[in-house]
Amino acid sequence: MRYADRLGLVLALPLIAGFALPFAGLRPNRIAAPVAEWLPHIFGWPAAAGVALVAVAALARSPLRLPLAALAVAGWLALLGLGASRLAEDAPAYARVSPGAGFWLGLVALVLLLADALARRKPAPVARLALLAATVAVLALVLRLWPDVSVLQEYAARRASFWAEAQRHVALALGSFAAAVVAGVPLGIAIQRTPRLHLPVMNVLTAIQTVPSIALFGLLILPLGWVAANVPGARAAGIGGIGMAPALVALFLYALLPIVTNTVAGLRAVPPSVSEAARGMGLAPRQRLLRVDMPLALPVILTGARIVLVQNIGLATIGALIGAGGFGTFVFQGLGQTAPDLILLGALPTVALAFAAQVIFDALIDLLPGRRP
Amino acid sequence: MIGLHNLSKHYDDLRAVDDVSLSIETGSVVAIVGTSGSGKSTLLRLVNRLIEPTAGHVTLNGQDTRDMPAFELRRRIGYVIQDHGLFPHWTVARNIATVPRLLGWPKDKIRARVEELLRLLSLDPATIGPRFPHQLSGGQMQRVGVARALAARPELLLMDEPFGALDPVLRGKAQADLRAIQQTLGSTILLVTHDMAEAIRLSDRVAVMRAGRVEQFGTPAEILSRPATAFVRDLVGEGERAFRFLSLIPATDLAEEGAASGQPLPRTATASEALDALIWQNAEALPLEGGGRISRAALLRAGHP
Ligand SMILES: Nc1ncnc2c1ncn2[C@@H]1O[C@H](COP(=O)(O)OP(=O)(O)O)[C@@H](O)[C@H]1O
Ligand SMILES: [Mg+2]
Repeated sequence: MRYADRLGLVLALPLIAGFALPFAGLRPNRIAAPVAEWLPHIFGWPAAAGVALVAVAALARSPLRLPLAALAVAGWLALLGLGASRLAEDAPAYARVSPGAGFWLGLVALVLLLADALARRKPAPVARLALLAATVAVLALVLRLWPDVSVLQEYAARRASFWAEAQRHVALALGSFAAAVVAGVPLGIAIQRTPRLHLPVMNVLTAIQTVPSIALFGLLILPLGWVAANVPGARAAGIGGIGMAPALVALFLYALLPIVTNTVAGLRAVPPSVSEAARGMGLAPRQRLLRVDMPLALPVILTGARIVLVQNIGLATIGALIGAGGFGTFVFQGLGQTAPDLILLGALPTVALAFAAQVIFDALIDLLPGRRP
Repeated sequence: MIGLHNLSKHYDDLRAVDDVSLSIETGSVVAIVGTSGSGKSTLLRLVNRLIEPTAGHVTLNGQDTRDMPAFELRRRIGYVIQDHGLFPHWTVARNIATVPRLLGWPKDKIRARVEELLRLLSLDPATIGPRFPHQLSGGQMQRVGVARALAARPELLLMDEPFGALDPVLRGKAQADLRAIQQTLGSTILLVTHDMAEAIRLSDRVAVMRAGRVEQFGTPAEILSRPATAFVRDLVGEGERAFRFLSLIPATDLAEEGAASGQPLPRTATASEALDALIWQNAEALPLEGGGRISRAALLRAGHP
């Protein structure tokens, strides 16, 4: 146990699998079945052994774990790019190289290792933002080595629309998030103060939450279509049965429950003696809310907001089904064409976006002034 | 002068407070004693209008409290509760500054007042002022609660079992400190407690409450010597009556000329503390610091009305 801790030992398994399973797959064309390619076969045994050595060194419990794990993750990604280029050299023009099961498992193990090494250092909020920026920069560099990896070939074919969809995705997720916070927090405050409203409002919000997302998008087509047809100026403002409007409304509705629930929970958690003191000191109702209740409830409310932000970034993919755009566009095109690489082109940025949003939001929460230490 | 005039608070059939009239002289301490559920907290909260009465009213230095907005009234009345209710997201200094800030005092006046109060309660402004409540001990939190209530020089201080959360040693110390502060500042205090000894020790007058009504209102000596009802007698506790009575008398009142051997008593001691020391040291008499002595006979004579 001295050489590697428990986590290191557990993660050794997927890492070993990363070497034992196919690292990449070579396909004669975009939708054909892949032929498995192993790491030693692509790079030769000595190079593969060198890679294994770095990976194993990263497993060791040492002060170097963080830099080694970072190096290993970047190296692992670079390796796929280099390997793809090698395989592509001897392959026909339409051939595609895509990541194999071994690559994914190894990547998961190394990323977890990196995350653990980072968490142990407990970086300050600003440092976390800096690390995120550094990660983006390194990723941008490493992806330059990926011109022959299938996902990037899909990207190259859709460069312009990719960034347009990215913008739409962010607009959908952030727009519905902001609207839910603006509406949900006051709603939470209102039902906390008026117990009579509590049950009916919660029931409605919970009912909305239980409607499957695709059904909700569908349900909104009718009323919004009616609005577009009958309210002057609505269509000009971009409101219609399909497109951004119903997607925004649906994401907003889903986001309300967590925001309202956490607002109520946060306000309820204010100790009775503190409320009593605030009243007894002569704070007027508004002063009590703004100076005592809300600041004390804020951490719980922000936790709800964080859930909603991440949830909306994921859910926004479904908006593509009703013409709202976003990364979901690629996912559903890929599904339609049985082109797994295209699905990945939609899915991977969504995951990355959700992850980045979480890091940024957590750092901002920690940077809030006047929070209880 | 604070007047409670025929105050009642009914919850459906329950008479939590039932036709209570009391007056509190400016600069004096009145204790409300009673068993749990007798309506003490309700009565206190009627005074600063955290609860509105079913009937009756309160006057604060001649002014009917119904004639002003509740939050304005509360800024003129200090309020201390058992769990302190310190605002956890504010520093000690900010907590103490609550009411002065609400009243719009200038910044440097507030800062000076906060320092003054921290010193008054034997808390070091430099180290305790910037701390957050969770970084304090129970005794420190209690004192900050008192400092916060005193901050804007209230016309009346309401205290609801202010020492209830303290251990016996700290409680004794806190009671002595409160008495000293009250005498320094000349504060008017209405104090709720379920502890008759605390009431007798701290107050000029005691109101004994039972089921929403005041059974007896009088000086501690009157309550001890002439309990109006069996309930009051039970609350006083027959077993300790003499000691309670002695605790009201300063030892210096019983001093006589002459010398005695043994450890001298401090001049601040009460007669009950003197008797305790006497019994413990098995002495006929003990010297008093600064001259004179106290004899066993004098103490025994003083131990009943
Ligand atoms: N808001 C309320 N609703 C109904 N009954 C109450 C309420 N507040 C207090 N009571 C009742 O009034 C009585 C007196 O309560 P309280 O003043 O808190 O007693 P004490 O402080 O002496 O222990 C108790 O029986 C209590 O249950
Ligand atoms: Mg009470």
